Amino acid sequence: MSDTNGLLRIGSLTRAFGGLVAVNNVSFAVNEGEIFGLIGPNGAGKTTLFNLVTGLTPPTSGELYFKGRNITGSRPHQIAKLGMGRTFQNIRLFPNLTALENVMVAQHIHTRSGVLSGVLGLPRDRREEREAREKAQGLLEMVNLADRAQVQARNFPYGDQRRLEIARALALQPKLLLLDEPAAGMNPNEKAGLSTFIREVKEKFSLTVLLIEHHVPTVMGLCDRIAVLNFGQLIALGNPAEVQSNPAVIEAYLGDES
Amino acid sequence: MLAQQLANGLAIGSVYAIFALGYTLIFSILGIINFAHGAIFTLGAYFTYTLMGLQFGFNGLLAQQKLPFGLPFWVALLVGAVIAGLFGVFLERIIFRPLRARGADPLLTLVASLGLAVAIVNIIQYLVGAETYSYPSGAALPGAPASVNFGTTEAPVIIRTAQLIIIAVAVLILIVLTFFINRTKTGRALRAVSEDATTSSLLGINTNQLIRLTFFLSGFVGGVAGTLVGLNVGITGPYLGISFGLKGLAVIVLGGLGSIPGAVVGGLLIGIVEALVPASLVSYRDALAFAILFIVLLVRPQGLLGRPLIQKV
Amino acid sequence: MNDFINTYGFLIISLVLQAILALSMYLPLMAGQLSLATPGFYAIGGYVAAILSVRTFLPASGTTFPEPLQSFVLWLGTVFPATPQGQAFPVSLLLVEMLIAGVLCGLLAIIVGLPALRLRGIYLALATIAFVEIVRVVSLNLPITGGSIGIFGIPQPYPTKFEFAWIAVPFLVIVALFVYRLERVRVGRALVSLREDELAAAAMGINPTYHKVLAFTLGAVIAGACGALSAHFINTWNARQGTFDASILILAYVIIGGSRTWLGPIVGAFLLTALPEVLRGAADVQGIPTFLAQFLKDGRLIIFGLLIAFSTLFFPQGLITPNLFKRRGGSEGER
Repeated sequence: MSDTNGLLRIGSLTRAFGGLVAVNNVSFAVNEGEIFGLIGPNGAGKTTLFNLVTGLTPPTSGELYFKGRNITGSRPHQIAKLGMGRTFQNIRLFPNLTALENVMVAQHIHTRSGVLSGVLGLPRDRREEREAREKAQGLLEMVNLADRAQVQARNFPYGDQRRLEIARALALQPKLLLLDEPAAGMNPNEKAGLSTFIREVKEKFSLTVLLIEHHVPTVMGLCDRIAVLNFGQLIALGNPAEVQSNPAVIEAYLGDES
Repeated sequence: MLAQQLANGLAIGSVYAIFALGYTLIFSILGIINFAHGAIFTLGAYFTYTLMGLQFGFNGLLAQQKLPFGLPFWVALLVGAVIAGLFGVFLERIIFRPLRARGADPLLTLVASLGLAVAIVNIIQYLVGAETYSYPSGAALPGAPASVNFGTTEAPVIIRTAQLIIIAVAVLILIVLTFFINRTKTGRALRAVSEDATTSSLLGINTNQLIRLTFFLSGFVGGVAGTLVGLNVGITGPYLGISFGLKGLAVIVLGGLGSIPGAVVGGLLIGIVEALVPASLVSYRDALAFAILFIVLLVRPQGLLGRPLIQKV
Repeated sequence: MNDFINTYGFLIISLVLQAILALSMYLPLMAGQLSLATPGFYAIGGYVAAILSVRTFLPASGTTFPEPLQSFVLWLGTVFPATPQGQAFPVSLLLVEMLIAGVLCGLLAIIVGLPALRLRGIYLALATIAFVEIVRVVSLNLPITGGSIGIFGIPQPYPTKFEFAWIAVPFLVIVALFVYRLERVRVGRALVSLREDELAAAAMGINPTYHKVLAFTLGAVIAGACGALSAHFINTWNARQGTFDASILILAYVIIGGSRTWLGPIVGAFLLTALPEVLRGAADVQGIPTFLAQFLKDGRLIIFGLLIAFSTLFFPQGLITPNLFKRRGGSEGER
């Protein structure tokens, strides 16, 4: 591969659960500044790949490089700290925390207040707390949830929870943003707005985006490059036009539907 | 000497085993630890005492009372264990089922079972006081000698008859239970539920009925274990089951939470290891089970025979 | 007023001490960790105070320890001199004992917590039960802890029990303020995020192990210092202090009071500690039937146990929930 200097490089990554090989010898690289799509039929191993990349699941074999650093076997919080933020397919907000608190938690690595100084409320800690709050409020504004900053996350409708999760991931100030099916559960209107939103966010925060999406028109219109997984294996990689005309991809999708 | 200690260990270990079975049965079905199990164990010992028509002491509401009839030991043991089992079903009905219906946090269920344990222990104390009771000597096998020498006169291996009875009853229960679980339709359904509750309810297995059955079995074996300990060392008061309840935790963790063979292996192992503690360290013996518990949790939390713990992402 | 204090002084201080213990167990729970280790640290803290103030660390006459232990023990003997008959134990030394107990328990908590907190849910609870039992059996057997008899005649800093309020009340206030503030700042939010969803928290850069051990250690420090104070308050210390029963009780305070806000454990501890006394008091009320009076007196622990069991059904969130405080938009949506 020519793009070995990508922001995220996945090398021969494999993960087996018992007899089931969920991700099988997958290699590709995500370049800085691109929007990279990961597609494939249900059960193709997309979410497992996300969990491998973010350290939630340890790989059976293979290697992971992020910003040129070997992150194979690193723990999730270490990887997050390097600048990788993510959302979850089945939404994992902190349900009993308010929207604002959800976003503030993700600022943890960029703040320093300790137990004692925080509890005592020393001037520096107060300032930091106030700044974190303002920043969080700003992110909520960006996803149009600012007016409900004090509402507990579990009381938000589904689509709003997805947006809140993106705001939370952005609070990490990541280099790479991983979105697991961001359009799931959104109505067609919201879906249409999503592509614009992702592009805006990407520009504003100079991000690289890796996303899983089922909604093919969204992916094709949004992504610079696409990787296709089927039964845990990488079957195609390229720009939307190339992938769309790839016979293996057509077979995988048609085979899935029949 | 060693043979004798092994026999002691086997006797106490087999009580641990059947006691722990009660814990593990409920854990395997519901994923909760029922701390009231130790209290049911104590109840079993008292039920047998009552049913034998024996008189209570000077304290409590039932001071000096006794039943107008007296059952022979074995019948009392059986009936007492059945009542203990029904009591378990009763607890399931009034607390555990409502909690389950509300989808309560396992933590709440734990606290509820602890509350029940406190209540039961104190009900016993309120009714019959904190005195020590014991079954009349020779109650189990009239005319049998107090102990049997399995060695020679030069190298005696003396085993008390009570210990032999305990081992025999424990083995019998294990055989019947194993047969029930592996060979009967209900038993297999029980196993299916313990392996995957959702799938089994999809397969049309009546989960509620099975849970009731589990609580009955758990209470039954708990009651038998209580009576056996009462036979061996006497009923030392309403708190009889507390130390057993705690050691039972070590047993099921060692064997593997939710594993039925694990409870048996764990019980025997801990019983034997305890019996082998040298006399000079005997006062530390009670800490041994917990040291084992702690180490097993750190090194191999799924226990000897449990399935590995898989964290779902 | 004096009558009231004479009758209820002991109870009032007990309420305060139990509330401190409840907050000690609440801290790990804040990070989603069910630890029942509080009574173990409480027991150790009490032994620290008892050993230092009764001076059981001194070698029996005639025996000497190898150096440098001997010098250390003799030095310790000068720091904690014998309290002459009829004189009050210096409050400053009591505070030093609380500090030492807290630090020791904190260090022990790190050693125990680092491996144990890899365990989740019921497994962690079991490991901490094992810890409490091991502490109990070991203290039953060591000479320095007085074996099965324990240590008695622990010197008193105050002539009456009620005056312990001078230390107990500020202690509770400090601990409560600490937890109250913690819930509102960066580290506290990190703890709560672990309770809410550990994986999501880790994916947001929160180090789960560090924060779990932190919460566990803070709880241990508080329990240890509370034990040191309790040892003087109770006057004797033995292996019956800090047992599994205590674990249950303290857990009940937290769950019944409410495990999602700092006030819950305090209210739970107050209610459940006062309840047996209230029932005993109710038995003395004129005109109630004898059998009921008898039951209230002797069977009050039955009522206590049943209340714990059934409150899980009727108050699954505990009596005090965060929503009682903030009546802000949307949070009433459930129910």
